[in-house]
Amino acid sequence: MNTNPQADAPPLQLRNVTKFYGDFKAVDDVSFTLAAGSICGFLGPNGAGKTTTLRMILEIIQPTRGSITVLGRPSALEVRQRIGYLPEEKGLYKKMKTWSVIAYFATLKGLTRKAARQRAYELLERYGLKDFAAKPTEALSKGMSQKVQMLASIAHDPELVILDEPFSGLDPVNQQVMEDIIRDMAGRKRTILFSTHVMQHAERLCERILLIAKGKKIFDGTIAEAKRTLPRRVRIETDDDIGPLRQLSGVLSVDPVQTARGAAGPEDVTHWELQIGENTDPQAILQLCFAKGIRLRGFNQSDPTLHDVFMRLVGPEAREAAFR
Amino acid sequence: MKYAFLVAWREYAENAKTRGFWIGLFMFPVIIFLSVNVSFLLETKATPVRHYVLVDQSGMFAAVVESRLEQLNPRWQPGTNAFKAAQRPFQPATLPAQIDTNADLASLSRDLKPYLRHEKNLQANGRDVELYAAILIPRDIEKRIVRPRAGPAGKTASTNGIEYWSANLADTRLRDEVEQAVNGEIRRREYLARGMDSAAIREVEQTRAPFASLDPKKEAGQEAVSGADIIRQWAPSGFVYLLWVAVFTVSQMLLNNIIEEKSNRIIEVLLSSVTPGELMMGKLLGIAAIGLTLVGVWMAALFGVLHWKSGGAPDFAGPLLVALKTSKLIPMFLIYFLLGYVMYAAFILALGSVCNTIKEAQNYMALITMCMMVPLLTMPFIPKDPNGTLARVLSWIPIYTPFAMMNRVNADPPLIDLIGTAILLLASTAASLWMAAKIFRIGILRTGQPPRIVEMLRWLKG
Repeated sequence: MNTNPQADAPPLQLRNVTKFYGDFKAVDDVSFTLAAGSICGFLGPNGAGKTTTLRMILEIIQPTRGSITVLGRPSALEVRQRIGYLPEEKGLYKKMKTWSVIAYFATLKGLTRKAARQRAYELLERYGLKDFAAKPTEALSKGMSQKVQMLASIAHDPELVILDEPFSGLDPVNQQVMEDIIRDMAGRKRTILFSTHVMQHAERLCERILLIAKGKKIFDGTIAEAKRTLPRRVRIETDDDIGPLRQLSGVLSVDPVQTARGAAGPEDVTHWELQIGENTDPQAILQLCFAKGIRLRGFNQSDPTLHDVFMRLVGPEAREAAFR
Repeated sequence: MKYAFLVAWREYAENAKTRGFWIGLFMFPVIIFLSVNVSFLLETKATPVRHYVLVDQSGMFAAVVESRLEQLNPRWQPGTNAFKAAQRPFQPATLPAQIDTNADLASLSRDLKPYLRHEKNLQANGRDVELYAAILIPRDIEKRIVRPRAGPAGKTASTNGIEYWSANLADTRLRDEVEQAVNGEIRRREYLARGMDSAAIREVEQTRAPFASLDPKKEAGQEAVSGADIIRQWAPSGFVYLLWVAVFTVSQMLLNNIIEEKSNRIIEVLLSSVTPGELMMGKLLGIAAIGLTLVGVWMAALFGVLHWKSGGAPDFAGPLLVALKTSKLIPMFLIYFLLGYVMYAAFILALGSVCNTIKEAQNYMALITMCMMVPLLTMPFIPKDPNGTLARVLSWIPIYTPFAMMNRVNADPPLIDLIGTAILLLASTAASLWMAAKIFRIGILRTGQPPRIVEMLRWLKG
C-alpha cells in the first residue's frame, strides 16, 4: 500500500485562484486539476490570463487568492527539480555554446555537471542539432533556438511540463518536431500543460482542454465534450430547392453559403450548411434528398472543429482582444 | 545556496571568457610594466629634439645660454649603448641668410613668424627641421635690465626685454633654461660692476643648514623621513584609483549581465528554477569572483614587477615594494574592494532589474557614475591631510567609505574612524542589499517603461 500522499496527489491542482494587478483582475477564480500522464491544452485569446496562471503555478508570481498544489506540494519551488518550463518569451544566452545552455539549465534542475552535459548531447543528437552543439546559440536560427530552449526545459526529464505557447513563431516543420517532443514526453507518462491559441495543435495533441477568457475559466473538458457544445453540420451542394429539408425534425438551421463576392442572387450560392441536433442521423437527410428528387453534387457531414468551439465560446472576447 | 553557487559559477565561467575580462586582466600589468620600465624611454625618446634660434644682438648672453643648454644632455641609461653620443633636447638651428639678424626685433620676429608657424623649415645639421622657438635679445638689453630702486621706467621695461617666441605654450623648459642662464650672467656682471667677488658670493649662497624631516610616529632613532616614507604616504592614492577601476569595471559587468538576461528573456526560465534571491546572490558572488580574479592578477603583477625592478631603476620600485610589504595596504584593499563592490552591486542589481535595455540603464548609470566621481576628484587632497575634515567627512559617507578610508590607510586614522566607518559601511551594505532584493524580485519580471521612483519606494514597503 502506498503511504506517500504525494504519490497519489494530482500533478497539478488549482483552487479558486485569483490574481489582481492593482485594480485589474488578470485571473478570476480559476480552479482545475490535471490528471497524471495527461496532455492538457490551455486555450484562450491574447490577454486571457494564461501566462499569468502559468507563472503562478511556477511560483514566479504569487496569486492574490486561492491555492495551488504542484506535484503534491504547496510550493512549486519545493519540487522545481521535477518541473520543466518553457516560457512564452523565449531567449538564450547568445555567447554560450548550445550544449552548455542545455546543461546549465539541467544543473539548475538538479543534474550533476557530468550528467547534464551527457544529457545535452543526447538530446541534441536525438533532435538533429548535434552539429550545432559546440556553436554559440547566436549562430542558431529562430526555430533551432526555440528547439534548444525546449530541450533545455526538459533535459532533466521532468514529471510535469509547462509550455507557454511552444509553437509560436515556428514554421510547420519545426511545429511538427515540437509536437513530436511533446508526444515523446507523453509516451513516458509525463504530465503536460501547454498554452496555445492555435487550435489545430490542441486538437492533435490534447486529451483535454481548458478554455480561459478575461481571466475566467469558461470550459474544462475533453475535446469531444468541447465539440458537443456545438451542433454537427451537414454540407449539401445542389442547384435544386432544398426547402423540404427545413421541415425535417432534428435540422436546426439551413443556411446558404455564398461566393466571396457575397452577391444576393441565388446563382451565387455555392452550397448549403445545415446544423443538426445531437441525435439526428445524417442518413435521414440523405434519404429525404433522394425521396424529394434533390440532385446532389456533394454531401458531407462533419463535426465542429475546435476552432469553431473556440470562436463560439470566446469569440467576442477574442475579437475584443484583437482590437485592443 | 546550492542554486546561488550554480548561478555564480556560470557567471564566473561566462564572464571569464569575454574579451573585456582579458583586456582588463592584462591592461593593468602592462601599464605597470610600461610605467616602471619604460618611463625613462618615454621621458627621453617620446620628447622630440627641438630646434631653436638665438639672436643675441647684445653679444652678452649667447655663450652662457649655449653652455647651459649643452648641460641638458639626457642621462645615460643602463642598457643603452655607452658610446653613442647622447642627443641634446634643444638644438640650435641655422637662420637663412636672407634674415638680417641686426634688424630691430619687430622686423626680425616678423621674418621669423613663417618658421615659427611651421609654414617654412630651417636647416640644422644639413636637414630640414621645424623651428620650435626663437629667443631674441635686443642690442640695448643692458638699458632694459630691471633693477630694484631704479625708478618706475626700469620697472615697467620688463615687457620690452628679451623676446621668447614659440607656438608651444605648454612646454616652458627652454624658456626657463634661457631665462635662468641670462639672469645668472646678468647677476655675475652686477657683482663685478659693484666690485664684489662673484665666486665668494656663490660660495656664500651655497652655505646651508642641514634640514631633516622627522616623523614623530616612528621609532626612536629612526624618525628620519625617507623616500620610502613619502611613497608609503602616497601609495594609498594609487590603490584608491585601482579600487575605483575595479569596482567600476565589475559593476558594469554585472549591469550588462542582468540586462542581457532581461532583454534575451532568459529571466523567466531562470526564475522557474531559482528564486529571485538565489539569482541575485549568484550574480553577486559570480561577479565578485571575477573582480577578485582581476585584482588578484593585478596585485601579483605589481609585486612581480616591483620585485624584478627593486634595487635597480626606477628608484621608487624598491621603496614601494617595502611600503607594500610593511603596510596594511593589500589586505585593506581587498576588504574595501569587497565591501565597496557589494555596496555598488546592490544599486546595480536594483537598477538592472528595472531596465530592459542598456540604453535605459545608462540614464540611471550616469547618476551612479557621477556619485562615483567624487572619490576620484578628492583623491589627491586626502594624503595631504589624511585625518582632516574632508577625509573624515568622506569616510563617514558609506558610498565613499571604501575610497576615503583606503586613502587614509597609511596615515593611522583614529580608531573611531576605522571601526565606526566599517560598521556603518557593513550596515549600509546590508540595507542596500535588502532594498535591492525587494526591487529585484519585482523589477526583474517587469517589462515596458522602467518604474518611477515612487513606485519603487512602494515595492520597498510591500
